[in-house]
Amino acid sequence: MRILIRSRTARLFMLFWAALCIPSTAGKSSETPDAPSVAPGQTVPGSDGQTTVVQHDDLVDRVQQKMVKIFGAGGARGLESYQSGFWIGKEGLILTSWSTVLDVSKLRVVAHDGRKFDAEILSFDPSIELALLKVSDAQIEGFEIDPKSAVRVGQRVFAVSNLFKIATGDEYCSVQKGVIMAISSLTQKRGTTKNMSLGKVYILDVMTNNPGATGGALIDIRGGLIGVIGKESRDASTGIWVNYALPIEVVHASVERMKSGAAFSPTTELAVAEKPHKLNELGMTLIPDVLPKTPVFIDEVRSGSLAELSGLKANDLILLLNDQRIDSRKNFERLLGSLNRADSFELLVQRGQELIRIQVRP
Amino acid sequence: MISFDHDKHHVPTKSSWPTVLRFLSTIEMLCVLIVTMLFMANPAWSQPQSEAAVVIEQNVAPSADPSDESVNRIAAIDASTSQPIPPETVLAAQRARIEAMKRASYATVAVHSKDGEGGGSGVCISADGYVLTNFHVSSPFGHRMKCGLNDGKMYDCVVAGIDPTGDLAVLKMYGRDDFPVAAIGDSDLVRAGHWCFAAGNPFVLATNLQPTITYGIVSGVRRYQYPSGTFLEYSDCIQTDAAINPGNSGGPLFNMNGELIGINGRCSFEKRGRVNVGVGYAISIKQAMNFYWQLRSGRVVDHATLGFTVATDSKGKVTVSNILESSDAFRRGIRYGDEILKVGDRDIATTNQLKNIVGIYPDNWRIPIRYRNADGVLDTYIRLPSLHLSSELEEIVQGENPRPRRAPMPKPNEKSEGKDAEVEEIQEVKETVDPLSDKFEIKRGFSNYYFNRLEKKRIVDLLHTFSAPFDGSKAVHWDGTVLAENQSYSGVSSESSILCRIGNDTETLHPTQGWLPQIRSKSNVCIGMAIRIWHLWNTIGPDKMGEAVYLGRNPIVGTEELFDTIKLTTGEVNCLVYTSPLNGSIRLIELFADNQVDPAEVYFDAYLTENTPKAPSVIRLQFGLELQTLVRLTDVKLVDPSGVTAQ
Repeated sequence: MRILIRSRTARLFMLFWAALCIPSTAGKSSETPDAPSVAPGQTVPGSDGQTTVVQHDDLVDRVQQKMVKIFGAGGARGLESYQSGFWIGKEGLILTSWSTVLDVSKLRVVAHDGRKFDAEILSFDPSIELALLKVSDAQIEGFEIDPKSAVRVGQRVFAVSNLFKIATGDEYCSVQKGVIMAISSLTQKRGTTKNMSLGKVYILDVMTNNPGATGGALIDIRGGLIGVIGKESRDASTGIWVNYALPIEVVHASVERMKSGAAFSPTTELAVAEKPHKLNELGMTLIPDVLPKTPVFIDEVRSGSLAELSGLKANDLILLLNDQRIDSRKNFERLLGSLNRADSFELLVQRGQELIRIQVRP
Repeated sequence: MISFDHDKHHVPTKSSWPTVLRFLSTIEMLCVLIVTMLFMANPAWSQPQSEAAVVIEQNVAPSADPSDESVNRIAAIDASTSQPIPPETVLAAQRARIEAMKRASYATVAVHSKDGEGGGSGVCISADGYVLTNFHVSSPFGHRMKCGLNDGKMYDCVVAGIDPTGDLAVLKMYGRDDFPVAAIGDSDLVRAGHWCFAAGNPFVLATNLQPTITYGIVSGVRRYQYPSGTFLEYSDCIQTDAAINPGNSGGPLFNMNGELIGINGRCSFEKRGRVNVGVGYAISIKQAMNFYWQLRSGRVVDHATLGFTVATDSKGKVTVSNILESSDAFRRGIRYGDEILKVGDRDIATTNQLKNIVGIYPDNWRIPIRYRNADGVLDTYIRLPSLHLSSELEEIVQGENPRPRRAPMPKPNEKSEGKDAEVEEIQEVKETVDPLSDKFEIKRGFSNYYFNRLEKKRIVDLLHTFSAPFDGSKAVHWDGTVLAENQSYSGVSSESSILCRIGNDTETLHPTQGWLPQIRSKSNVCIGMAIRIWHLWNTIGPDKMGEAVYLGRNPIVGTEELFDTIKLTTGEVNCLVYTSPLNGSIRLIELFADNQVDPAEVYFDAYLTENTPKAPSVIRLQFGLELQTLVRLTDVKLVDPSGVTAQ
């Protein structure tokens, strides 16, 4: 594993910190009008002259109301069927990770008070793997995403998530305390074809990225959202797991992108290409279309075909075509039919636990 | 840039140092060296690390940006003053923290096998050496272990009671009568976000017997972690991100006042190997203390059920979906379809909450319950049935707890055959005499029956400080009145009979036989039976009255305290006898006919303390929760049995 944090000074301080084992609080005071004058975790003289430690329970209560537990597809070994998410804004939008958990027709979301909602996927952002869900009639006020939130290395943070599915109903999500160790770029190798860069992330000193934690909230000591907990990730050669979160400005940009409509599921009628791509010409067959929403599994890939040359394999599950979400075989064939036979396109497939991007170039 | 592979499976674990070193380039190694040297050179910095930590915590937020003024602030502290002076409040808080951790360390116990091997953790909660730990820590060691304290000494230790369901055990250390004790906190006040710290012996690091402290926050409360089968269930537990690693099991979790709030026992691991991933669970100290006296009884203790099951109905209410007609809950009026609102002191809104809260109670306890039916909201108490059959508990103990091995003894005939070498060998492996061999006794249903004897002796000794033993040759004569009906109630308890005179009616009862129909028919003679039991209890003691088993401490309806409880089988009845933990006097006797009907509850609400002997003055007979008879005794005396027969 190679760590190349941007500035050498930053590295130096990371080490310095590691050597001291310092838990550190943010020095910057909040702009929030109702923020307490003393940050939780700081010490204040009590009324009896004795020193008391400010606890974080009120903060936890406030944040919990914005959290959701998400239950969807999965359940097989190594593939959890649950993850975390949180409300944003006031319109019933939920931000979470874009993962295989969402590959289900009926996505179940459980709010802090145990209310259960069916959510639909409004949009998603494959570049940093976030998804935006929509729930009607929730009437829960979520986090405001402030891209200008100042986040610094050494800052005290809390990670709030439903890791290990500890909560299922009205139970609270789990809270962990930590420190931002470094701000760095992170590249995850996904399968054999492509390294996927998540860009800048916060590296945390605490084990936040556990099963089901993905999509959880990273908050500062005043309860403001400063990041989204990422997926589990581990170095193949050392076996070390990295704990990271997507920074607020990256999340903000992604949410804006998703809200503006990129990667929406196609709802409008598509133009049919004159000479479209066809499955048999690509050299692959899909499993038979027997359900209202048959998942797009590749049944067979003909040897020597374009599909094989592009790197597609039997049992691959096609999730995206040119960043358009594929939720059924019908949907896939319709989209494919809108592409000209001479055009290249990109697929995102799931192979086992890996997500792989595949370029198909005729 | 950091490169990671996504979601790969296990890679063989490598030792941690080389892995860490591989992160570092030469320059970085130099930096570490410089930092280390600074520590050694500067006396102010070589203070405990936590002090240095707080200094900087308050003054700077480190930054990745070298131009950030906070970086310069470190330099300023370093260059201009050798003794940076942080705010006094910070230092005071730090002193308080160090003090709390120091206090907590005294009572933290390292649990080892009797050969000093292996290890887990525990916490001492009584000056005479009772230790709380996990069942899964004590069980591999059998009944004997050694416990280390941070005074650097190892103490011989023996298991008292075990709770395989709740993963608790109580051990007893020997060697001092002033063991350091952890202050007991209130786990009901613990909330997610509170600071906490764990002490213990992770990875058996405490070779010098100094516990390791790990610091974190409470990540969640009222957590539920599923049992394997029906054992090792964590109900209503505390979740923390303070590092809980193998070896921390059984050790204490403290709040920042250094008060004990939980017993660490379990972690979520999954695919990352058996090391901390920031998710540990502690049994709440409330649950542990509910079971503490039950565990001191040396029994294999059991948890409780309600006697009914619940489901969430279409309106989201928690309603009774099934109920045993023989259960106390049914007799108290709970029926199919009733909505459960509260169990113990916990409001119930989901089936999960109900399942969670029931797990903290021992069986045989009576706890308050609030429910709603067509008549409205009703409050009652129900007696909790046992979760397991006694045979199920015995099975798990046989299966998991290696029983003590006897030292191999040469057979007499082998000796006589005269192979000298063999005899010598056998003598060598013969173990030295265990100093605690008299502190262990095998009996069915017990992990160590010795402790049950000990508790029974404690109760009897306590009673004798309250009231001297009665002369065995005497009968007891009492005079009194039934308060509501203004009738006289007098009687005599003697070897030959129990005689009760209520108004003009006289009832004579065999001293041991024929009690059951009277209990079933809710007769006032039950008071006479209770006086008879009180009489014998004070004369010959529970052990000679029949089979007596100390259960622990149970609540009595209408009081806050817990009472020492002995299950007594005398003649044909089973009784539960509740005595005061302060003076050993009997407070309540419950007489059970069978499990289909309510027991007769005879309360001794007040004593004639000026009388000789000290005797109950206000006696209340109750069935279920309904008062049957209230009697005031005015005169109780020990008399010659011959005089009684003459009357």
